[in-house]
Amino acid sequence: MGRMLMIDLEWWVESCLTLLMIPYFVAFLLYMVRILKGPTLSDRVLAVDALGYDLAAFMTVLTILLKSPIIIVCSVVLILWIFSLDIYVAKYLEAKELGG
Amino acid sequence: MVDLASPVDWLLVIAGQVLITVGVFCDLVASISMIRFPNFYTRLHAATVGSIGGAFVPIIGVALVAAGSEFLGVYRWFLCGASLVIAFVELLLAGAGSHALARATHRAKAAPVMPVIVDQLEEDRSRGEV
Repeated sequence: MGRMLMIDLEWWVESCLTLLMIPYFVAFLLYMVRILKGPTLSDRVLAVDALGYDLAAFMTVLTILLKSPIIIVCSVVLILWIFSLDIYVAKYLEAKELGG
Repeated sequence: MVDLASPVDWLLVIAGQVLITVGVFCDLVASISMIRFPNFYTRLHAATVGSIGGAFVPIIGVALVAAGSEFLGVYRWFLCGASLVIAFVELLLAGAGSHALARATHRAKAAPVMPVIVDQLEEDRSRGEV
């Protein structure tokens, strides 16, 4: 009890999350490989989806690291745009158009 | 060493960091399998692992870490609630978007169904039942 509480909580959170940022960058690079070399349009859109959702999660981690919780609003907008990209591409593939 | 964090704060932070670590692991697995899998329909599985395990779980973890971190100021409760809302919205939207994309791709034949043994949806559609 007493020994663990001697560690500063702020230092602990910051160092752990900073270490966890490295695998995120590796995953982003691997997603970018699939986006660039995906054989069909659907593959590329799927990779953009996964990349966008992971960027939203990464942005929520950055809110704690940068100590500015207001950045969380950008994450909402990013998730909604990624979903609408899905729906637009599905509409385009089915109807060969994007109009009404 | 002026203000020590309470054990409840430590418990919330450790639980949240465990969830974030699980999310990062799912993220790495999804990105590797996104490259290794052979066609579009198997990559759907990788994308869903990446969007549920790699985004829903760490956002819940961020909510727990924010609830236990006093140094973020009073806005940490805003961050906690908004993270929970984002996590559940994402849980609904990721599956719906992937499903819409897969259905449209199969109907338009935009991706080849190459390593395949049986495709019963295509058989039913050619018979006119769907």
